[in-house]
Amino acid sequence: MNVHDNISDTDVVLAASDSLSGMRVGGPPEVAAIMARGRARRNRRLSAAAGLSVAAAAAVTAVTLGLTAGSGPAPALGTIRTAAFTLASNSNGTATLTINPTELLDSAALQSDLAKYGIPAKVTTGSLCISDPVPAGFSQVVSSSPAGPSTATPQAVAKPTITIDPAALPAGTELSVGNFQLSSGQQQADFLLIDSSSYTCSSTPPDPNSLPGGYGPNDGIGLLYGGPGPGGS
Amino acid sequence: MSNHQTEFEDFFQASWEPCLRAVVAVVGSQELAEDQVAEAFARAWASWRKVRHHPAPRAWVVRTALNSGASWWRRRPRELPLAGHDQTASADDLDTGLDATLLTAIWRLPSRQREVIALRIFLDLDTATIARQLGIEAGTVRMHLSRAVTALRRELAPAKNTEARQ
Repeated sequence: MNVHDNISDTDVVLAASDSLSGMRVGGPPEVAAIMARGRARRNRRLSAAAGLSVAAAAAVTAVTLGLTAGSGPAPALGTIRTAAFTLASNSNGTATLTINPTELLDSAALQSDLAKYGIPAKVTTGSLCISDPVPAGFSQVVSSSPAGPSTATPQAVAKPTITIDPAALPAGTELSVGNFQLSSGQQQADFLLIDSSSYTCSSTPPDPNSLPGGYGPNDGIGLLYGGPGPGGS
Repeated sequence: MSNHQTEFEDFFQASWEPCLRAVVAVVGSQELAEDQVAEAFARAWASWRKVRHHPAPRAWVVRTALNSGASWWRRRPRELPLAGHDQTASADDLDTGLDATLLTAIWRLPSRQREVIALRIFLDLDTATIARQLGIEAGTVRMHLSRAVTALRRELAPAKNTEARQ
């Protein structure tokens, strides 16, 4: 008779239970940190309920980012100007990035310049990097508001504003910026948070009116700009 | 300090380890499990008024943790080496002293069976509670559990046979 026949369900369950008995658990994290994370999540949920939807940002025509340094005030770097974007530091420790919708975004330059402001970022062209699970906290790190010329005129080079507060950037995360040149002639830029140690990159642009699977409306911003569409040049 | 805060802290301290073990059993990575469980507890605190009345709050945490990384851990087993090459890096990723063979067998189970095993064995939940948690019939829970136990028994048999021969 095979021993297989003599192993009871109870034996199996006990063995399975014992299989992790040797796992060394270093103790739970600080409960205060967990609760702070929970409060941040609750606040974001309340903000979302109050109508701070990022969906409206999906049809804008240009991007301006306000940035602060990740672990303190942004360094006083002044203004960095390239053909595709302008990145300027502000006296309150924030920085403002304006993307020129008539130019293709130089991802390497943007990533490098964001780093100069203490902003960890993964900027890619033709792909977007995402994490699963989705890091929490995007809506605390990034917010948007209109700025610059009106977007009412379709051909205007409008410059809405996105403000990023990297002081709220959760540890181990960074900003993911994916820029796509669409067949329509427009460009699409998606902004998300990713886990720096765990992410994958896809060359398929997310639906311009939504975010990648797994990302909710408060987990990122997608923007269309340039080209022949509304707001294009 | 509010009663709710004290209550949550007590729950957190008492539940962290069993919830972590349950999630490790499913996802196969202690590091990933710690991240997901921490996030799940944060969500529990964010919704504590609801979660504190949940019939099985630990199960709520485990389910939330698993859902937060669902697509990742559901892909994971297919990336494990096949049987016969099963001294996997995944089992070795954990600290020593673990039953790597059995853990590998658990991680090779279909995702639903792993969930059932985790909730039954590591959270000691009964069939009805597991069924409510997973949104399936109690009979389906029993079926998953039976199949999982059968599969795990096959992994245990060679070891037992070895012991018997010695």
